[in-house]
Amino acid sequence: MKPPKFRYFAPQSVEEALALLAEHVDGARVLAGGQSLVPLMNMRLVQPGVLVDINGINELAYIKAWDGGLAIGTLTRDATLVGDSTVAEHLPLLCEAARHVGHPAIRNRSTAGGSIAHADPAAELPAVMVALNAEFEVRGRSGSRTIPAQDFFKGYLTTDLKEGELLTELRVPGLPSRAGSAFVEFSRREGDYALAGVATVIALDEDGTIADARLGLCSVGPSPVRPRAAEALLRGQRPGSEAWAAAASAVVSVLDNPLSDIHGSADYRRHLAGVLTRKALAIAAERAEGNR
Amino acid sequence: MTTTTDKYTWIGKDIKRREDPDLLTGRAEFTSDVKLPGMLHAAVLRSPYAHARIVSIDTSAAKKVPGVYAVLTGREAIEVIDPVPAFCAEPVVEHAIAVEKVRYAGEAVVAVAAESRYIAEDALELVQIEWEPLPPVIDVLAAMEPDAPRVHDTLPSNVVYDHVFTFGDVDGDFARADHIIQRRLRWPRATAVPMETAGAVCKYDPPSGRMEVWSTTNMLNFVGWLIAGTLRLPPNMVNFYPMYTGGSFGSKHVTSKVIAIAGALSKVTGRPVKFMEDRIDNLTANDSQAADRIYDAQLAVTREGKFLSLRLHTIDDYGAYFVFAITGNTNMMSQISGPYTIGSLETGIKAVLTNKNQQGVFRGAGSDVGNWVLERLVDATSDELGIDGIELRRRNFIQPDQFPYKIPTGNVYDSGNYPGVLDMALQHADLDYWRKEQVRARQEGRYIGIGLSTCQQRSTYSSTEFWFHNPGPFTGLTTTAESVRIGIGPTGGITVTMFSPFWGNSPETVVSQIVGEEFGVDPNSISVAYEGTYQGLPSAGPGGSRMTVMLSGAARGAATKVKEKMCKIAAHLLEASIDDMEVREGRVWVKGTDRSLSIADIGMKAFWNKFDLPADMESGLEGSFTYDHPFTTPPTDDRKDLGVFYPIMGHAVHIPVVEVDINTGQVKFLKYLAVHDVGTVVNPRSLQGQIRGGVAQGIGISLYEEVRYSPDGQNLTATLNDYLLPTVAEVPKIEVYHHVTPSPFTAYGVKGGGEGGRMVAPPAVTRAVEDALKPFGVKIDELPMTPEKIVWWVAQAPAAS
Amino acid sequence: MMQDEDFVMIRLTVNGETHRLVVEPRRLLADVLREDLGLTGTNLGCEHGACGACTVLVDGQSVRSCLMFAVQASGHEVMTVEGLAQGGELHPLQKAFWEKQGLQCGFCTPGFLMTAYELLRHNASPSEEEIRYALSGNICRCTGYQHIIEAVQSAAHSMAEAKATVPSSTVA
Repeated sequence: MKPPKFRYFAPQSVEEALALLAEHVDGARVLAGGQSLVPLMNMRLVQPGVLVDINGINELAYIKAWDGGLAIGTLTRDATLVGDSTVAEHLPLLCEAARHVGHPAIRNRSTAGGSIAHADPAAELPAVMVALNAEFEVRGRSGSRTIPAQDFFKGYLTTDLKEGELLTELRVPGLPSRAGSAFVEFSRREGDYALAGVATVIALDEDGTIADARLGLCSVGPSPVRPRAAEALLRGQRPGSEAWAAAASAVVSVLDNPLSDIHGSADYRRHLAGVLTRKALAIAAERAEGNR
Repeated sequence: MTTTTDKYTWIGKDIKRREDPDLLTGRAEFTSDVKLPGMLHAAVLRSPYAHARIVSIDTSAAKKVPGVYAVLTGREAIEVIDPVPAFCAEPVVEHAIAVEKVRYAGEAVVAVAAESRYIAEDALELVQIEWEPLPPVIDVLAAMEPDAPRVHDTLPSNVVYDHVFTFGDVDGDFARADHIIQRRLRWPRATAVPMETAGAVCKYDPPSGRMEVWSTTNMLNFVGWLIAGTLRLPPNMVNFYPMYTGGSFGSKHVTSKVIAIAGALSKVTGRPVKFMEDRIDNLTANDSQAADRIYDAQLAVTREGKFLSLRLHTIDDYGAYFVFAITGNTNMMSQISGPYTIGSLETGIKAVLTNKNQQGVFRGAGSDVGNWVLERLVDATSDELGIDGIELRRRNFIQPDQFPYKIPTGNVYDSGNYPGVLDMALQHADLDYWRKEQVRARQEGRYIGIGLSTCQQRSTYSSTEFWFHNPGPFTGLTTTAESVRIGIGPTGGITVTMFSPFWGNSPETVVSQIVGEEFGVDPNSISVAYEGTYQGLPSAGPGGSRMTVMLSGAARGAATKVKEKMCKIAAHLLEASIDDMEVREGRVWVKGTDRSLSIADIGMKAFWNKFDLPADMESGLEGSFTYDHPFTTPPTDDRKDLGVFYPIMGHAVHIPVVEVDINTGQVKFLKYLAVHDVGTVVNPRSLQGQIRGGVAQGIGISLYEEVRYSPDGQNLTATLNDYLLPTVAEVPKIEVYHHVTPSPFTAYGVKGGGEGGRMVAPPAVTRAVEDALKPFGVKIDELPMTPEKIVWWVAQAPAAS
Repeated sequence: MMQDEDFVMIRLTVNGETHRLVVEPRRLLADVLREDLGLTGTNLGCEHGACGACTVLVDGQSVRSCLMFAVQASGHEVMTVEGLAQGGELHPLQKAFWEKQGLQCGFCTPGFLMTAYELLRHNASPSEEEIRYALSGNICRCTGYQHIIEAVQSAAHSMAEAKATVPSSTVA
């Protein structure tokens, strides 16, 4: 299983990368971590004529404070998301989710941006970004634009990225006070793609009722699912199994197109979504209590 | 507890493996590491269809790719090679590269040799094939219909074997029974997936007509000559080198297809050619997929739970080819009645061809299925009669004083102590604690289950097993040998030569321990070598858990010859009687005295001092021994008695404790206990490794592994993302204890134990999950027990009391 | 005929030795190590990143050498299993694997050794849980993993002991 030929470029700056992507607009692919792209190339399922290797663009690897949260350069490795203390402190949800991405050797290379741009429905980070109301900076030759995470994922392996554009920054706002988050997934084996995954943030009011709830699910649709109705249901409720059960039902009812493959049928994934929603909400609420 | 190995110096010791330093430093040479001047690399284009006629193949563009040296279609290949060996099979012809028709998705249709694998694959992309798709037959029951599309036009039906064997008074025993326990059971198709795929480097020398072969094949000194036949070369002109093999588990006994492809390309180009399967090749086309069976199973029992008789009828989906015949089913007949005194049995076997990859054998070779089927019936008996499972088994065990014990099929169990093994297991199982935990957990809405299996693990097959499924006077092969040569040099250095390769077992370590014991020298001082087919002595190689038994016997035989000569020389030199000589501690002694000579002294005399040797003695000091199966007999012509073909019989008890999350269906292990009795143990740590690795594979098929085909025959588990092997996160710590009941037939009383882990785990794990789900009344009839199935079973099952 | 622009000049430092090679960009790091440099200790088990057999270290971090192009490693430091033993002396991990029989066929072993090497550099006394988590991306079909875990634990112990007996000023 050897990849087909390609022309290879290793730009050292975003400008250079954009120039290359514009020049080779047909058939150029960005090589970031390569942990999803290279297997496809080895199997010759994907045959880019040109690879633009962005791993040398150091200006894209950073984590900065932003709006109470973080601005993350897209070349930041998943291993960094797992191990970085800034991330752990400000956005533990990111850490928790990133721990489920593959295995150590995969995470050493796979990038935060790569996961977003590739938009595999089973990927954890897109669901987390959607739940956290993140926005993404995309740059092209003609300038940059900002896209809310919710609007970025269009469908199966499809995003709003246009030809010649590069995803450069992920901006994740901070959590409100008295908030707790949780990421829970179920997979066949440790490190496998999730059969269903739930990212959630619960923020509590002074009286202990739910002020705000956000949910993002992976593997239960062609793109991450943000079940707004379930979130609305939770607002004002007292945390407890009744609230979680109601939310879980509401989540399951909007899952009209979960993935279905030999590892899990659509029905089973729907079922798991309900189970994991209840579990994630309970953990997040407990953590929110702890932060009160 | 004392073991038989207390009396030995080296046997029974956990010495470090001598295979390891090269493996640990990356110096060991696997087939893929072979690099020869001018070597080309091959790649293979595979059929996208499960069933299709090849109308035309245009390789002209592929041939023009710079760096390509040869492109062969099946039609072109058969100008230089023959079909692959049909090892003990009915007449179903298989070509390494398909000619005319493809019969499974993944079958090879074109092979290329080029400067690099990269270029070879570039060339394959330019091959144009015109196909006539044919209706695929994928469902095994549909394949049996008279109007089903035929996988082979030369055969009248896809049912290539259909026979019922009856042993003893089955009808009478069933009539006498108080209850008939009945289950329909489904054992899924799994595949071996060694970490190293199969492959070969073939170097043909046109002027001399000789070929050298470096390959992953294990049985080189058993079937190498058949593969040479496929290559259309006289066997004595082909040298197969024994290579370090990265695991096999039964999948690399022959590996004729990869050798035939590399060999054909080498013949055509006149250059060495390497063909290594990639993982997709391996998962779709390797000869390692295994038993794929539906069973209608019945156990006739008395009201006290005495097992009287068994009826097992199976439909086995063999895939598109049949080169190993029904090996997986005949194997099972070695221990089909388990450790129990079942008086009669009937087994019906239907082998059906479909448009899938063919079966080979995978660790357990069909007897793993037998264990599972039988224990499912025993567990069902326990449930239906309300008799405790442990008590039920005790009531039916063959007792220690009944050995050697002949089972209804004619095979004999050499020795055993099944109550003893069970007692040892119960001693360590802490069942009282776990039963209390189970009750406590249920009160919390958690589901813990305890499983138990008491199963046989035969070792050391006789080749009669490959032939007796055919009726009539016996004409098949009857040799199942293993050879060892021992040479002693002028400074007394001992070299042991083996004629079968390493595949992850520890043959070098085991044989050096045996020879060290024989001569009374440190095993680490012994040099171990391998020889291929040019120097080959008959040797069937690893498989069927035979190597420890066969190497022990062969090494002892060779050592005996050499020691005899040593004693003759020493007697001559010391002017003593030959009858007064003995070998121990690395020296030859006159018994009862302090007069002795070292091995070095004798070695030097043998090499340099002819005048000091007895008059008619040849110089040199070496001996080889070809050890055949220690106890095998032919079947009767009417096959009412299959003869003795697998008598070296081990036994094991597994007790796993699991927790099942009924919301997700996940199964987690809380404990795993295994007690194995494989006679005298040569290297306990090495055996424990085999057991633990085997249990991991047993957990694999119980919970994760299954080869899946789509309704139109596409292989859905063609990568390691889809065929799921247990990782370290899924395999628990396995407590292993050894019980020792030596064999009366083997050197040192050893028995083979390499397959036991995989053979005994599935029924125990199945029972554990079933036990956890008992409150829901779930009965488990199939594997793997995936999380989705478990959730479904709980949702569907009648709620039990 | 291949054009010159099909090839790239790279500088690979492997186990401390620097090599100048001319390779096609599509050549995987695993293949360049094995075929161009003759370092065949690194094995290919799947070529799609699922088994871990091909794991090497690049700048001290474990990577799947089947998912990295050799050109990407140019200018970086690569460490393979051949770089573990120093001056003929096995690395404590190799000794521990040997002692505990943490291998049978040995095909997956180099990948495990490199992954464990990285683990122990970041975590000198990992718990069993941490060892399992770190090694979950390496598949072994032979051992059932238990002896591997014991080997890593044993190596951690002996490496800590060795460090403790050496005056801190001489520890690299």
